[in-house]
Amino acid sequence: MTSIQEDDDLVFRKICSLIEPLNEKGVKLTRDTDLIADLEIDSVAVLDVVMDIEDNYDISIPVNTISEIKTIGELVDAIHAIKKEQS
Amino acid sequence: MSLFDKFQPTKEMYYALREQTGRDPFGVSMDEMKGPTRAIVKGREIVLAGTNNYLGLTYDESAVKAAQDAVAQSGTGTTGSRFANGTYDAHRQLEIDLAAFLGFKHCIVFSTGYQANLGAISSLAKPPEDVILIDADCHACIYDGCQLSGAETIRFRHNNPSSLEKRLQRLDEKVNGKLVCLEGMYSMFGDTAPVKEFVDIAHKYGAHVLLDEAHSFGVFGDNGRGLAEAQDIIGDVDFYTGTFSKSLASIGGFVASNHDELEYLRFSSRPYMFTASPSPANIAAASAALKRIASDQSMRITLWENAKRVHAAFTQLGFEVCAPASPVIAVKLAGKAQAFKAWNFLMENGVYVNLAIPPGTPNATSILRLSVSAAHTNEDLDIVISAYTALSEMLANDDSKD
Ligand SMILES: Cc1ncc(COP(=O)(O)O)c(C=O)c1O
Repeated sequence: MTSIQEDDDLVFRKICSLIEPLNEKGVKLTRDTDLIADLEIDSVAVLDVVMDIEDNYDISIPVNTISEIKTIGELVDAIHAIKKEQS
Repeated sequence: MSLFDKFQPTKEMYYALREQTGRDPFGVSMDEMKGPTRAIVKGREIVLAGTNNYLGLTYDESAVKAAQDAVAQSGTGTTGSRFANGTYDAHRQLEIDLAAFLGFKHCIVFSTGYQANLGAISSLAKPPEDVILIDADCHACIYDGCQLSGAETIRFRHNNPSSLEKRLQRLDEKVNGKLVCLEGMYSMFGDTAPVKEFVDIAHKYGAHVLLDEAHSFGVFGDNGRGLAEAQDIIGDVDFYTGTFSKSLASIGGFVASNHDELEYLRFSSRPYMFTASPSPANIAAASAALKRIASDQSMRITLWENAKRVHAAFTQLGFEVCAPASPVIAVKLAGKAQAFKAWNFLMENGVYVNLAIPPGTPNATSILRLSVSAAHTNEDLDIVISAYTALSEMLANDDSKD
């Protein structure tokens, strides 16, 4: 598994930078990191991170999509898909 | 994996905090009620400063009498849904009275405010063609209404009309109906929405607005019709939702609208059709409270005087108050542990307020939510303010956080 530094996906890096302040236990962030189980971020905090992502990329990410997302990698993939669709 | 594993993390956090204080902030029993602002808890009389009894009407003479008469006349329960045998003349009459009071053509009474929002949102917006846009800080029942609807749901930043506008602009042309949901006064911080700006933007993009005035009905506006009245926009609100469980001092909820199509909810809204209607006593009490609100402005005036007094006192004590003066006065604490400690301290000083911690609060804050009532006497508020004065001294030497 590649670490943040090695991953050249800008969306992945952006998400990591937004999540890092909530990563109180200092868990290493990878695409497989589970937002709620590994990072213990509550569901509302996840929605708030997503709001920052929406503003950053000027896209809308439905709550319905977010509730199906568990890992950072899934979030990255969802954003790529929505970026494509909404641009 | 078992069914119950999911409860483990919350349980551990909750039990640990509870152990530190020896009390359970989410399991308080009001052992004996002494009036709208007093109760006995564990043998001690406390001031209730964490209710939603804004106008203090729970012991109003006319409402109590009306409820008693209704039980004697119509029985203790309806044993059926509004859709079947649960609509009595009093349910119909209250719908007419609420519509008239607010100035809408139609009104539907539900069994709770939770169900009113659930029922309205889930039957108005349908997947895949409709989209719901909600304020990020909306109440759980609005989120749950979106889930029950299944329609695509997009959050916009709290109280931020331009954030809504951006999201409306991004929508695909194929989207059919658009429903924008927001609240009047928000229950946790007591802050209020720029309803007029939201309505103007929503209508510019062909969206309908659902405004939940659960906490602002009876509290705002020259006639107590809510924040929409205060901002002179009430006739432009597409769906006005409210509850009987706060200023109307009972149990039940409603949706009012000028759209004739509101009536279709009676045949399509599952939270209307598949639950029993409010009991005769609930309806009679809410009707009586509505009459009091319509005819007596003094309760609201007292409520605001009380709100301003407490807000000024807390500000002066140096508390971080979450919003300008309103009947909900929330103060921010450093974290969960400090909030538990502070809540317990207030109980020991004879004051009950609401403890609210993430994820039930905006921006992951831990707060003590106080609400004032028109029924609070000066003596009640003296007790509240002196307890908070002692609390501020206690907190000055406290460095607990989470
Ligand atoms: C904003 C809001 N809407 C609706 C409700 C639900 O009201 P009810 O107690 O009638 O279910 C509440 C109360 O908890 C609320 O705060």
